[in-house]
Amino acid sequence: MKNRRLAAALVAGVSLPALAACTDNSSSSSDATDGRTIAVTSSSDACDLSSDTAPSGRLVFTIKNTGQEVTEFYLYAADGKRIVAEVENIGPGLSRTLVVNADAATYVPACKPGMKGTGIRSELTVTESGGSGKASAAVQEQVDQANAAYREYVEDESGQLLAGTRRFVAAYTSGDDARARTLYPTVRVHWERIEPVAESFGDLDPKMDAREADLEAGQKWTGWHRIEKDLWPPSDQPYTALTKAERATYADQLLADTETLHGRIGKLTFTVDQIGNGAKSLLDEVATGKVTGEEEIWSHTDLYDFQANIDGARVAFEGLRPVLKQKDPALESEIADRFTALESMLAQYRVGADGFVSYEKLDTTQVKQLSDAVNALSEPLSKLTAAVTL
Amino acid sequence: MLANYLIGLREGLEATLVVVILVAYLVKSDRRELLPRVWGGVALAVAVSLAFGALLTFGPRGLSFEAQETIGGVLSIVAVGFVTWMVMWMARSARSLSGDLKGRVDVAAAAGGASLVLVAMLAVGREGLETALFLWAATQAAAGTGGSTAGPLLGAALGLGTAVLLGYLFYRGAVKINLAKFFTWTGAILILVAAGVLGYGLHDLQEARVLPGLDSLAFDVSNVIAPGSWIGTILKGTLNFSPATTWLQAVAWVLYVGVTMTLFFRQIRRNNRPSTAPTAPARTPAGSPS
Ligand SMILES: [Cu+2]
Repeated sequence: MKNRRLAAALVAGVSLPALAACTDNSSSSSDATDGRTIAVTSSSDACDLSSDTAPSGRLVFTIKNTGQEVTEFYLYAADGKRIVAEVENIGPGLSRTLVVNADAATYVPACKPGMKGTGIRSELTVTESGGSGKASAAVQEQVDQANAAYREYVEDESGQLLAGTRRFVAAYTSGDDARARTLYPTVRVHWERIEPVAESFGDLDPKMDAREADLEAGQKWTGWHRIEKDLWPPSDQPYTALTKAERATYADQLLADTETLHGRIGKLTFTVDQIGNGAKSLLDEVATGKVTGEEEIWSHTDLYDFQANIDGARVAFEGLRPVLKQKDPALESEIADRFTALESMLAQYRVGADGFVSYEKLDTTQVKQLSDAVNALSEPLSKLTAAVTL
Repeated sequence: MLANYLIGLREGLEATLVVVILVAYLVKSDRRELLPRVWGGVALAVAVSLAFGALLTFGPRGLSFEAQETIGGVLSIVAVGFVTWMVMWMARSARSLSGDLKGRVDVAAAAGGASLVLVAMLAVGREGLETALFLWAATQAAAGTGGSTAGPLLGAALGLGTAVLLGYLFYRGAVKINLAKFFTWTGAILILVAAGVLGYGLHDLQEARVLPGLDSLAFDVSNVIAPGSWIGTILKGTLNFSPATTWLQAVAWVLYVGVTMTLFFRQIRRNNRPSTAPTAPARTPAGSPS
């Protein structure tokens, strides 16, 4: 029948836009605790909000009318004119709910007991929360976990670096060069894994990790690479071995600097963008130093550093992976694949349990292969930070 | 209690007035067979509103403010279109009713009948969702865990009941007046009601920022006619008069009333002219056209 069809069309016409424009209701248990539910009490002469700040995203206002007149609740934009949202017909004794998707900004909430005038106004500050609604609460939890896990990792590596450095300087100062040469690459692994963090201390890095080629005029050369040269003295140029006293001086300073570093790292906390950028800069380290063989120019243990940089980047990535999986699953699987490809390529050069062949053994084709694999990972990894913070 | 009662009364009057006139018209023009369509439309609107309101209140999802205002606004404006059509239809068929063209009545009825469901549905449904949300909030308060209070629900129900009672009394009065007067008066009333609904719908769209000019008020008499008072309730419920009216609302109201009233009375005059006899016997009993 004609009218039945018309009626059905009308019902559909009313319902469909409504469903399309729908928004999640309240009643999530996390809402109550993360500041996303704001209780509004509208009395005859007051309009009290349970909080004057809120995180951006989905906000739930529950407006209770404790007055004698019918009231309305408005959420105006900062100009106090544009209505962001409103509820009418809140009779005495009633509670109505208003769900708003709010961007970070200042808002003007207003109750209008008696439904007239400009209302009883206050101010609500909505701060950027990096997302919206329930999804962001879950993501925030993952972010917090990633930050905490990365902090733990960095502190652990720093502790192992300190312990290893103690053994290394002991061997070196006592003249046990063979043991010192064995310890050198394996201890430095702990430095290389957290290199961006260590480098963030501008006063320590040049003292601990400067390469001879990079020295500036007047800069005294100390640290790992100074000792490296002494342990692997060049055969093609004149070199004077360090005296026992000189060895002790360099060794003591390296140990003291490592202790300072460890102390400072214990006080650090990390954010998602620091972790993401750290992963990227570890890859840059590989591309600019290790792949060229410039880092360990005397010991040729560059592949240890190479692997350590990748390890550090991998840990950073794994920490952010659950967040990335939600925000950009395509990027997540791309980065994971490139890591695997690079790691398996590197694995061909392994010797023993945790050793690597000398970098001199690699021919130009092999270096090119590694370099390409690094670049292939570096490219998607550079998008990690933006993907997890947006 | 009183405030909630007045909300119920206001929303109830908004819904009943058009329906009552429609029913009175059908009874008066002896087309009772079309009444089930009207009641069907009303029932459908009530059912959809209550169900949708319950879904939004108790379900996992709510409705964004813009969406709700847009639904209310668009439905109101569509309702204006249908009510206007209904007024003109009544005016035209008044002529056939009064004259000897009995056959025409059934043609008009057949054409118009299909739309009666929609008129009734829109009259009730345009504010149905908001009323349902209000009623469910009152139900929540009554069933509330933290100190329940049945006052608001009782008040709202009494308000709605009063609106229905007033509607019935209006119907009783309307069917008693003579046919010519009935058409003239109910037509004029419907035009004023529709003009109010038009203004109301435009205001909803202004609030949703579909239309501009929310802050450009033509007048604001809120202090004289408080929206929460008896007089404010009755004026809002019947004519959709809002004490704070925007320029867009005011201009639309004046234009609509001006144009529609002119067309309406021109039709009424035309009805009276060709026939030398009076339009209808002065005291036609209800439901028996001459
Ligand atoms: Cu919805």
